Amino acid sequence: MTFTQSVLLAVVLAPGAVFALFSIFWLLGWNAPERTLTRVTASVFSISSIATAWLAWSMHAGGLDAIVVPLGDWFTVHDYHFPLVLLGDRLSLPFLAMTVILAGLIGQFSATYMHRDPGFARFYILLHLFAFGAMLIFSAGSFDLLIAGWELVGLTSVFLISFFTYRPGPVESALRVFVVYRACDCGLIAAAFVMHHLAYTSSFATGMPHLTGGDATVAGLLLLLSAAGKSAQVPFSGWLPRAMEGPTPSSAIFYGGISVHAGAYLLLRAQPILAESPIAAAAVVVIGLLTAVQGTIVGRSCADAKTSLAYAALAQVGVVFMEIGFGWTWIPVLHIVGHAMVRTLQFLRAPSMLHDYHQVHAAAGGHVRKTGEHLDSMLPLRSRLWLYRLAIDRGHLDTLMERGFVQPLVRVSLFLGALDRLGLSPAGNSNEPEPARATANDSATASKMGAIDV
Amino acid sequence: MEASQLFQTEPYMTEAKYRDAMRQWRLRAEDLDAILEREADAEIVPGLRRRDLWRPMLDPGVRSFDPAGIAWRMEEGDLAAEFESTASRALFEACLARTEAPNPPPRADARAVDAVIHPWLIRLSSVFLDQGMAYWPMPGREDGFYVAVRILFSQPAALSPTGLIGLEAEFRRQIARNLDAADVVIACLGPDQNCWEPVLRDELLAMPGWPGLFSQLENDPALFPHDPVPCSLMDFLAIRFTLAKVAWRNLAEAAPPEAADPRLTCLARAASLYDAARLTKLTAAAVSGWTPQRWSRFVLEVESFNHLERRRVYHLAYERWHEQEILLGLASHRRNFTPAEQRLRPVAQVFFCIDEREESTRRALEEVDPLVETFSAAGFFGVAVDYKGIDDAHGVALCPVVVKPQHAVLERPAEEDAHLHERRMFRRRLWARISRVLFVSSRSLVRGALSTAILGTLTSVPLIARVLAPRRYGLLRDALNRAFFPEPRTELTLMRSTEISHQAVEGLLLGFTIPEKADRVAGVLGPAGLTKDFSRLVVILGHGSTSLNNPHESAHDCGACGGRRGGPNARLFAAMANHPDVRTELISRGIAINSDTWFVGGYHDTCSDDVVLFDTEQVPPAHHSDLNAIVQSLDLARARAAHERARRFESCSGKADPAGALWHVEERSEHLAQPRPEYGHCTNAVCFVGRREVTRGLFLDRRAFLVSYDPRIDPKSENLARLLAAVVPVCGGISLEYYFSFVDNERYGCGTKLPHNVTGLVGVMNGSSSDLRTGLPLQMVEIHEPVRILFVIETTPEQLEKVIAANPTVRKFVVNRWIRVASMDPATGQIQIRRDLGYEDLAGEVKPLPRVKSSAEWYTGKLDHLPMAVIMQSAEAARSGL
Repeated sequence: MTFTQSVLLAVVLAPGAVFALFSIFWLLGWNAPERTLTRVTASVFSISSIATAWLAWSMHAGGLDAIVVPLGDWFTVHDYHFPLVLLGDRLSLPFLAMTVILAGLIGQFSATYMHRDPGFARFYILLHLFAFGAMLIFSAGSFDLLIAGWELVGLTSVFLISFFTYRPGPVESALRVFVVYRACDCGLIAAAFVMHHLAYTSSFATGMPHLTGGDATVAGLLLLLSAAGKSAQVPFSGWLPRAMEGPTPSSAIFYGGISVHAGAYLLLRAQPILAESPIAAAAVVVIGLLTAVQGTIVGRSCADAKTSLAYAALAQVGVVFMEIGFGWTWIPVLHIVGHAMVRTLQFLRAPSMLHDYHQVHAAAGGHVRKTGEHLDSMLPLRSRLWLYRLAIDRGHLDTLMERGFVQPLVRVSLFLGALDRLGLSPAGNSNEPEPARATANDSATASKMGAIDV
Repeated sequence: MEASQLFQTEPYMTEAKYRDAMRQWRLRAEDLDAILEREADAEIVPGLRRRDLWRPMLDPGVRSFDPAGIAWRMEEGDLAAEFESTASRALFEACLARTEAPNPPPRADARAVDAVIHPWLIRLSSVFLDQGMAYWPMPGREDGFYVAVRILFSQPAALSPTGLIGLEAEFRRQIARNLDAADVVIACLGPDQNCWEPVLRDELLAMPGWPGLFSQLENDPALFPHDPVPCSLMDFLAIRFTLAKVAWRNLAEAAPPEAADPRLTCLARAASLYDAARLTKLTAAAVSGWTPQRWSRFVLEVESFNHLERRRVYHLAYERWHEQEILLGLASHRRNFTPAEQRLRPVAQVFFCIDEREESTRRALEEVDPLVETFSAAGFFGVAVDYKGIDDAHGVALCPVVVKPQHAVLERPAEEDAHLHERRMFRRRLWARISRVLFVSSRSLVRGALSTAILGTLTSVPLIARVLAPRRYGLLRDALNRAFFPEPRTELTLMRSTEISHQAVEGLLLGFTIPEKADRVAGVLGPAGLTKDFSRLVVILGHGSTSLNNPHESAHDCGACGGRRGGPNARLFAAMANHPDVRTELISRGIAINSDTWFVGGYHDTCSDDVVLFDTEQVPPAHHSDLNAIVQSLDLARARAAHERARRFESCSGKADPAGALWHVEERSEHLAQPRPEYGHCTNAVCFVGRREVTRGLFLDRRAFLVSYDPRIDPKSENLARLLAAVVPVCGGISLEYYFSFVDNERYGCGTKLPHNVTGLVGVMNGSSSDLRTGLPLQMVEIHEPVRILFVIETTPEQLEKVIAANPTVRKFVVNRWIRVASMDPATGQIQIRRDLGYEDLAGEVKPLPRVKSSAEWYTGKLDHLPMAVIMQSAEAARSGL
């Protein structure tokens, strides 16, 4: 392994190692003092930032297109290999750099923001796990490995939304986000299956798996499903405002900075596949367009700081999707990096919103220009009311999802449950009498509950 | 207590907290005994008196048992261990044998409807009340909430939210029948007027924050910061009832909540009784031998001394400890006090606000220069004005919330700086426009795409700078501000020459006449006892607080200025007192200001500990050296005060010197991430009304409001009445606000600040959809010691009673025991505590206090509340004539 390769490997593994170390300490009952946590975090991310910069410089100087770090095989079945491979190329490096810089900044910010919170250590441990997941996504050389990072990011996101576990609101929201994530992750896993099945590999370290025509469309649409879920695109965007329950710095890095752009990265990575399938590419553009419009309309009716930022972010990620669908590469990357910086700062400033607004208001002499008058002059009242009604229900998306998807699903499962009770389903054929099974289940639940109590 | 049932809140700390306090000697057995002395005693059963039962139930204390955990505790937990002794086992069996299952307590039915309608009510209320956050204002909101929502939801071709299907039809029906909000509410309430009140109360308390704001804004539309809309609670109720009605129709029958197993509730009850019996050393034989009447008396006694009652007694004992600590300390210090025969002329006299946060600055100033004399008065210095500074868009009332200002004062650029002001105004407008456009465009579609893609990466510079080096960023910004927006010198329009010049500013009088000014100056100087022997320089310091990370913006400012900053008041006061005609007028009121005395106004920022003095260029040349001296002393004092304050912050290194601490607190006020820019009134516990000489040299740990009051020149207690009328509601209110926000932070307070989200520029929610959070955040109250404020007033009980009886507000505070009151005899220093049945002499042994050379010696390296100590140098100075 060359030096460059080991640097890349170290940068990716560093937050994971910190996570592992501190969580083992935590499990052993030792709560690391705040100062230790913040110092370790600061040093890890500042060293990683320097190392990433050095990687970029050495690639540029050496005329390298990519750094490939083969880590052997995950497992093999006869002759079929599932290789583990890291890839640092011109697409992944900006994302890696963005991750280490933003994670470091959030670490520094939270040292003050989270000070004395009972969940301080938990927050930092999750921050490292998140950074590790994001680094895996951005440096994975195969879709298999990318899935691992993808799941870590999703999990930490859910854990941080439910950070204030003693309140019902955050936990409910976190569960909702978790369900959407899981549903959409199916797309990524299925896409990896499709690639293994049709192209006999999911690795893209040495070129994209070769898919054409219908195969590319299937894979592309599956990838789009999971990208849309992660980046809160239409029709899944309802989870994003709910995700604002967590502490502000985590909202900033996840929904202003990195996690919300992970879907866009996935599609950028898969651009060769999209290029093979006009249908998939068009779908990306359409989803992006719908999201951009939805984000703009809904965002304009939001009166609270974090939700309006969330929808503003959505609108821009929608535009990024469109840019990717058009087949552009550098514009979306630039857009993502710029957008992540702007949005992170805006999220971090959200608690100071009143202060900032009053300053501007006073400086303007008490007359801040009213917004939205442009629209007043263009549309008749009826359409304005209708549009506002649409905006205030967030484009009816949650309602549609609930009525068109969740409720039918619930009805089907209730129906199946009823069948089960009648003994008609295949599982009902067991010889065990019904009540006995129920008690067995009950006691199992009870013992689980007991375990939690203890 | 009633409130706690109504709002489902906690009135005291948890029992565990009080028992922790006992373990840390913060609550002593003798305090418990003293409190139990005051409670009525009675015989429960022969050989067992109530006091004998209560005492062990408090210390070591009974455990609480609930049906859910009782089985486990009997099999494996603490009870199992106890039952190994046969006597305990037998006692439990005896109790169990006589215990009947209690009636199940009524359970609040789960409000499934709320889960459906609250998100909608929150969203609609927030857009309706929005003050400029949303890009599109809610259409039709000028017609009121009810009408606006009704028209919005009766739009065709829109999907009804799940759970609210049929809402459109309902609203359309209401439109067709031409109902107004009141009709809808009355229709939903039904004809029986008797049940209106409970229904309305339940509906409003299901989510109190938003309707509370509606009601506030309805009563006082002037509270709207920018964009008033017609607001009415009736509208809110009409919408709430309509949504609830529709949601009910959609809701399937909810399953009734599971009742606890009666056997387990019986066991739990028996265990509680057993625990009390065990602690009072009863035996199984004794319990079994009781007649049924005696047994039920015992049960009644044990169960009526429930957790609320126990916590009441604990709390009184907890407060008694504090009372003893403070009063004995004061008594000890007072003993050494002898009024000086001869007074030196002080080098300067400095007026602070009564705020307990100023206590450390005052003490530090006195330590820095023992020849400085300090006073305090409520921080608006009697000058209730509607003030508009040169940078302000509108005038704001700078006075206590209960006062409506009659006078307006404008800040105007000085004649020769007029062009500077013009330029400043223009540039500020430009800057406002640019930042507004950037703010708006980053959220729009096309402009947002262009700006984030092209300029976005540049944002990393301020992002990194603000997070990594907030103080340096702040300094850079200040330097840029000075370069681009130079400030003109200004003057205040405070003269009003004739009664006719009613240059009305929205119905207010512009400026003050000479007698009005003299009134205000005399109103502050008189009660403080400063009527003669003025020093050459008198400094008046208002205060406020600037901090960035503060969703509750005005939370740390001066309470006496209506939660705003008191700099202008101090400046005005100084200008008034310097006026020759005012001084002439003052002589007739018994206040002789020396001819060589000059007043200077100033402002102290309690967050960054910054001190600025106003109008220093007008100070006569002869006073320049005095001015320099006091500026230097103030500079040293603010660094020391910052150092003392920083001891409370875990994040400030204990080794920092005063300069380092000053940097630290300055950074705090600039830090985007700082949820505790300062601790505010968190440490308030005492209010001393009396001469500074009595407390001078006493380390009060920033915990005491100090009100300068000289009883010697106030035989009829007129000044005292005036002071208490202002001070009791302000300090008492602050103390109660902190008390309740501490004991039930989630419900009386607003919980942790970390997920707070500013909404509509009018309120704060948790996350994206919650009720408005009111009260104080956890970060502001976490080091609070929950005691009711203790007023110590230098006067006699007779005079004090007269004052209390004369003022209904003060009486309410005292009689309802919202505050604790003690008097200190001005002549003898004897302290008497006001109880329900009269004044009681201070009990306990008065010991000499620890003596230290300086405040720093006493507090360095300590994080907790500190007891009193005597700062020798200042104490000496006080004795030797200053």
